[in-house]
Amino acid sequence: MSISRREFLKVSAAATAASTIGVSLLPGMQKELFADGLNWHKSVCRFCGVGCGIMIGEKNGKVVAVKGDAQNTINNGHLCVKGFYLQKVVYAKTRLLHPMIKKNGKFERVSWDDALSFVAKKFNAIRKQYGPDALAFYGSGQAETEETYIANKLFKGAIGTNNLEGNPRLCMASAVGGYLTSLGKDEPAGTYADIEKAELFLLVGSNTAEAHPILFERIMRHKAKNPDVKIIIIDPRKTPTDQVADLHLFPKPGWDLAILHAMARILIKEGYADEKFIKQSVNFHDNKKKITFEEYKKFLEQFTPEAAAKISGVEPEKIIKAARMFGKAKTAMSMWTMGLNQRTRGVWANNLVTNLHLLTGKIGVPGSDSFSLTGQPNACGGVREGGGLCHLLPAHRLVKNPKHRAEVAKVWGVPVKNIQPKPGKHTIAMFEALNKGEIKGIYIMCTNPAQSLPNASKYWKGLKEQFVVVAESFFPTATTEYADVVLPAAFWSEKEGVYGCTERRSQYMPQVIKPQGEARWDAFILRDLAIKMGFKKYFEKYKTAEDIWNEYISLTKGTDMDLSGAPYERLKKIRGITWPVPSVDHPGTYKRYTKGDPIFDALPAEKKKGRRMYFYGKPDGKAIVWARPPKGPEEPTDAQYPLALSTGRVLEHWHTMTMTGTVPELVRAVPIAYVEINPKDAKKMGIENKDQVIVETRRGKLQIEARVIDRPEPGTIFIPWHWEKWMANILTIDAFDPGSKEPEYKVCAARIKKA
Amino acid sequence: MSLLLRKHKKQKGKAMKRLFVILMILVTAGLLVGLTSSDEGNVKEKHPDVDFSVSCVECHTEVTPDIVKEWKGSAHGKMNFGCYMCHGDGQQEFYAHPGSQRCISCHPQYEVDFSKTKASNCYDCHQGHTLKFHKTDE
Repeated sequence: MSISRREFLKVSAAATAASTIGVSLLPGMQKELFADGLNWHKSVCRFCGVGCGIMIGEKNGKVVAVKGDAQNTINNGHLCVKGFYLQKVVYAKTRLLHPMIKKNGKFERVSWDDALSFVAKKFNAIRKQYGPDALAFYGSGQAETEETYIANKLFKGAIGTNNLEGNPRLCMASAVGGYLTSLGKDEPAGTYADIEKAELFLLVGSNTAEAHPILFERIMRHKAKNPDVKIIIIDPRKTPTDQVADLHLFPKPGWDLAILHAMARILIKEGYADEKFIKQSVNFHDNKKKITFEEYKKFLEQFTPEAAAKISGVEPEKIIKAARMFGKAKTAMSMWTMGLNQRTRGVWANNLVTNLHLLTGKIGVPGSDSFSLTGQPNACGGVREGGGLCHLLPAHRLVKNPKHRAEVAKVWGVPVKNIQPKPGKHTIAMFEALNKGEIKGIYIMCTNPAQSLPNASKYWKGLKEQFVVVAESFFPTATTEYADVVLPAAFWSEKEGVYGCTERRSQYMPQVIKPQGEARWDAFILRDLAIKMGFKKYFEKYKTAEDIWNEYISLTKGTDMDLSGAPYERLKKIRGITWPVPSVDHPGTYKRYTKGDPIFDALPAEKKKGRRMYFYGKPDGKAIVWARPPKGPEEPTDAQYPLALSTGRVLEHWHTMTMTGTVPELVRAVPIAYVEINPKDAKKMGIENKDQVIVETRRGKLQIEARVIDRPEPGTIFIPWHWEKWMANILTIDAFDPGSKEPEYKVCAARIKKA
Repeated sequence: MSLLLRKHKKQKGKAMKRLFVILMILVTAGLLVGLTSSDEGNVKEKHPDVDFSVSCVECHTEVTPDIVKEWKGSAHGKMNFGCYMCHGDGQQEFYAHPGSQRCISCHPQYEVDFSKTKASNCYDCHQGHTLKFHKTDE
């Protein structure tokens, strides 16, 4: 059977138009190809931080299909290979269906009442004997905002400890530190809408093609339509992202700061600096004090292309070329992820990328932004915005600020003295304290630290010895092995709530089906635990997810991340909205710190006079260009450990594979872990493709298959970290950034030999 | 073929198994040429029993290099959206000649009623691996 091309195009174009505007222009021409009688529900993907819109196809109370949401501006109907299989994850054989308590080393099924009574009794005993700081909570950038909100209130507001962290500490904390120190407020100034307006992309430490595939697709399409669009990559490893690259700079892992300084030097020397913008909106600082533009230029003098080449291993010509490309482009968008964040100088690395934008004025205009990509679907919404870290309170507030504590205590209805002024223990310190016995009880929600912590095996001791509660949708995991109690958590599509993605967009997700087995919504598990612990008066008021969301958005009112114009009623109808959104008739904010941002617009005229941007998180409204020293990694290579080990991701798997490991197609696509080694290094060591090798660092050894491939540069090896069986994190280093406390997963020294 | 055998000479049994795979694929392909309808629910297909610890694309780079080349040059190949997305994992699900439902999961804007067109599924117009139009009246 055949059809004329013209005819087909006519039909499909009409159908596209119809679905895009939600009106059937050609009655009868559109018909669902899926089984009849499906109810489609608008939702959000469960995987990465891009926030793709997904439609859940439900029939007779079961999720039977998913498809991309064609009306969602983020993905325009497209899905990556992970989101494509979400319906299979819902019904995975590894779903945890009942609460269980470990007795004599074996898990035994118990009732919810027994499980929560047991945990409440144990937590209260610990609290009574050792004080509130002997308890801790470790959450997730995958939890909904409502879930993190309730956890925050229980631990910081009721129990009275700031030992509350989330796994975004391990992936996004340096980006937070970068934004706060450079621009004054957390999260990007622009949105994804800049992608189609950018002339140049600077991708630093980001394998966008595999870690954020739908954004990569948007970049790829944009470049295909506009061949003059240029893409520069700075990354120690060749990745699938390279297929769109015009220029790739390969620094030695951890030695890229000098490149960014050298680029800044060239931009200024060759006249690409926007002197007017700098005068209006930029200050200069070194690590100790404010400096002048002239002093900053003097600081940069040490970073000649040749000097930067010596430090980084990148040819000087490439550094010059990259700087000129950045300078010549009218608009530029930088994107980065873990390659910058997971470093002992992750905050500095973030600062130096933003420097390039501030120096050239390529910020605050369409197509230009210094744009951090997020790894988890609600790291921004739930943890960064919701205050799910040990120093934060909801809506970008700080525990150390007495006014912030008072505001939050009032809304929570708890005595303000309950909220301690001193930050709690950050993630690494928290697990260290478990090892030492200073923390005696921990509640872990929706994350798998026994596998995902750096230098993981070091922290198994504390998990083994202390009282561990794990609320999870999947069982077993590396972490449930150490649990005393496991609580089955409702999964995506089984609960409602909000996710906030990379571009400041908050999106509503409906409950479509009943949870599997006896699984329950995490927020209500925590609420009921709180009630059993004796905090009934603080928690009994929460009857629905909407109750929690309404209370949360009331705390955002008047802040830089105002969400008070985004109640459920509105979010259910739209494809999310980008804050600040101060009223229900506000359209959301495309660009912060400039015209159109309601906070900027409301500033007194004298403050804005002659300025296109006002960085209202800084006292004088000026962003900061930082003169940071070019520090290298914590554990550089040496004669004993001559290779730099980096870890990362593959397209088909996600984090510790509790989800993607349940999808046969994704397991088939990448069945086993491997270590990538450059052919030159392999030859020297007599290693052939598919040989079993031992990778060893100062922390551990791992037997794994060798993949001899020219992706890593000579001197660098790479392991995708997803598999429990081939656990890369027994090798990684737990040294962390002194500012952000984010560990240096991306670089450590290793050696390799044939097994 | 010789490359395949050479590479796996240590595991002669495995190589023989792969030889069988190639033959099966050729036979399957031949059978499917005559099919006009590709409603995957109506066709019980079985992927040959192979070493499933090897990824689809790794094995098929050797056994069906032309198809892999076509796929690599397509939009799917550029995104590394692999064989499994249309054909299943090969063990629990396998569709030698997939239907259109999977296409629509990522391309919902093309959800048309085929009874109103001359096409019966996406593949009537799109070559499954290059994704280019391969059948037109013009």
